[in-house]
Amino acid sequence: MTKKMKLLLASGLASLVLMSPALAENMLRISYPEDPKTADVQMTTDSYTLPLNIFDRLVESETTGPGVSALVPGLAEKWEISADGLTYTFHLRAGVKFHDGAVLKADDVVYTFDRMLNPATKALNTDILTFIAGAQERMDGKADSVSGLKALDDQTVQITLTQPYAAFLALLASPGASIYERAFTEKAGDQFGLTPETTNGTGPFILTDYTLNDSETLEANENYWRGRPKLDRLLIRVVSDSETLRMLFESDEIDVFDLDYAPTQTPYFYGSDQWKDQVRSGPRVGIYYYNINQLKKPFDDVRVRQAFQMAIDRQTILDKNFYGKGKLEDGVMPRGLACYMPATPIEYNPAKAKELLKEAGYPDGVEINLQQVSSWSTKWSDMNQIIQAQVAEAGFKANIVTTDEAAFLAARKVGEAEAYTQVWSADFNDPDNFFYTFFSESGTKTRGYNNNDPEVFAAIEKARGMTDQAERCKLYQDLTAQIVGKDAAWVPLFSLDHSYVVQPRVKNFTVPWNGWSDMNYYNVEVE
Amino acid sequence: MLMFAVRRILVSIPVLIGITLILFVMLNVVPGDPIALMMKEHASPEVIARVREQMHLDDPMISRYFSFLWNAVQGDLGNSIKLNRPVTDLILKAFPNTLLLAVCAALVSWVVGIPAGILSAVRRDSFLDRFFMGFSLLGVSMPIFWSALLLQYVFAMKLKLLPVSGFYGWQYLVLPSIVLGWSSAGVIARLTRSSLLEVMRLDYIRTARAKGLRETGVITRHALKNALIPVVTIMAIQVAGLLSGAVITEAIFSIPGVGRITVSAISSRDMPLLQGAVLFATVLVILGNLVADILYSILDPRIRAQMRSEAS
Repeated sequence: MTKKMKLLLASGLASLVLMSPALAENMLRISYPEDPKTADVQMTTDSYTLPLNIFDRLVESETTGPGVSALVPGLAEKWEISADGLTYTFHLRAGVKFHDGAVLKADDVVYTFDRMLNPATKALNTDILTFIAGAQERMDGKADSVSGLKALDDQTVQITLTQPYAAFLALLASPGASIYERAFTEKAGDQFGLTPETTNGTGPFILTDYTLNDSETLEANENYWRGRPKLDRLLIRVVSDSETLRMLFESDEIDVFDLDYAPTQTPYFYGSDQWKDQVRSGPRVGIYYYNINQLKKPFDDVRVRQAFQMAIDRQTILDKNFYGKGKLEDGVMPRGLACYMPATPIEYNPAKAKELLKEAGYPDGVEINLQQVSSWSTKWSDMNQIIQAQVAEAGFKANIVTTDEAAFLAARKVGEAEAYTQVWSADFNDPDNFFYTFFSESGTKTRGYNNNDPEVFAAIEKARGMTDQAERCKLYQDLTAQIVGKDAAWVPLFSLDHSYVVQPRVKNFTVPWNGWSDMNYYNVEVE
Repeated sequence: MLMFAVRRILVSIPVLIGITLILFVMLNVVPGDPIALMMKEHASPEVIARVREQMHLDDPMISRYFSFLWNAVQGDLGNSIKLNRPVTDLILKAFPNTLLLAVCAALVSWVVGIPAGILSAVRRDSFLDRFFMGFSLLGVSMPIFWSALLLQYVFAMKLKLLPVSGFYGWQYLVLPSIVLGWSSAGVIARLTRSSLLEVMRLDYIRTARAKGLRETGVITRHALKNALIPVVTIMAIQVAGLLSGAVITEAIFSIPGVGRITVSAISSRDMPLLQGAVLFATVLVILGNLVADILYSILDPRIRAQMRSEAS
């Protein structure tokens, strides 16, 4: 073999090795159907995998069991909450380093939250910080800083709220509250999070490659304060086609197959001898529900609402449309949420529903409209068709109305929305995220319930400020009985499981407490 | 020739403006708020309203259109709403991938299509003819998503010869190029065949044969030159089409090209990005047609003469 030939062969082999995502190393290969767009969590509300692995938060939500989580210290080693519930003092862990070597200081925390609220940032995730004193003024451009954010010294941050908010710690554990480094982030400007060179956090992984619409590579952070992650590398690929995804998984080019992106494959993987033991499943803290608008006849009558609750055969929908992978829900809070307690079961009883309709003055049944939005996934229209047939037995003549999203939102705003079905997943682990969204004075209007119960409004406001967690949970359980049981203002359907299939070499893969696809891979190992 | 090209380019300016205008109006009529879509069900109305204002999405349509045009003329297509990056950057970064795929697919279609068409025409009604025509019919009529799945299944999953999907080296390009090339090879083969058959009936071919030329010489030196004129035209237009992004192929094979960008822009109502992508595709198609016309004139002296008389 000539020298030249040898050289050619060697370079050819080298390029082959470089080009194919190598298997031998300690790398986890995962995929998502869409590009994450950015690692800057302030600029996204739907792609949290990069932020969850690149950054840390003051407090973390740790998954302690299937659907169970605990708030544990993160970048803040400990904290104190003043007796009035207004002042939070966080003591930062000493010696935590960012990927660029800078040491974490209290000023970085102040900077991060101020950046989110600064109107120039055009951040999308501001909702989590609106309780901080001065946040609104900063967002409105009326102030140059946030009065409620203070660095007392290099290790201590003090946050003051406008009103006591019991879920504040849970909010700080959400991905949106990831902590950045002031000097680096200011320098990166609007490029922050868009490239490896302009991304810097304290988290277990370091972004080393980002090819838009193709993949991101994250390498282990050798100096991570909790100890180096077990994985050397995390390869995140963008695979938008579900058939391709399955073939990639079955030909061992991907380590984790998220059944959320190909739900129709559920029976195949659960039934396959090769794969059924490789399924990892966990509850999802999210509830499917049917909205009913009390401003719309006949739903102004509680008996009609109760009849509607009873007329839906939820188990059949769960079995037929979701392969039975989930659990019926009877309350406002799904399993896995803090304060969750099983509520009084809602029975499926079309005969009784018919009776109730008769009592309400509709002996011959009543016409109702079920709304769906054309741009929503077909799972909603499939559900509507089943429900339309189911409730007919009780005497509901349901028309399915399809509109576009703009029309739907516009109608909902003025209280004209028809009944619709949707799902709500926990943004953070606190019942306030559900009750306030749907049944507070503002929420019940904007979400199209119009359940105008002053007692419920007052109780939801009160619960926000309560510091005794046991008492608070009791209040939420009572509220459930009131809203779902007595007022029949809420039609809970079910919560689903989230299933993944993993290659045999993947160890320690746990479904995160909230059942999200976006997760932290710190504890995962590959063999 | 130069005059002709310049004139054609000038004529295409109104076409470009027309297309941006139609696109702009359509995107504004189609429902779906990009911010609401981006933030999903969980966003509070206040946040959506604030971000819309910050992005000038509530400005009147006319003023947004003219500011878009003004910036576009200066080479600035704005920032993608969803990806938060300059549109020009996004397209220019994705284009090399699309270009690579398009060139490979075009090569496949030519290398397969032209010889298949010639052989079919020469051996008309033979088994070979039927085989090639059946093969091209299959290529033309099979939806790409299906042929892609089929090839992925056989060559990647079962035989394990090639990777399923991705874009990390030459072996990743083989399947998408075949899938995409196959469908255009069908068109080229059929066109080559019919056009060659037509030419073979003409008098000058009879003359060539009468001179005693060998059949291969008759075909390659005389017949093919004329028969390939329509084929070249189609080829140029096809390449232009391939360059503006093979949407389905890029999605199935996870190729980060222009097609992927276009699809994601549509689904997220990312107006600046979609405008940029469509504008880019329009320019490519116009250029493709121009190249086709110029090639035509090189191959066909009659056209050249016509152009000259038009230009003068």
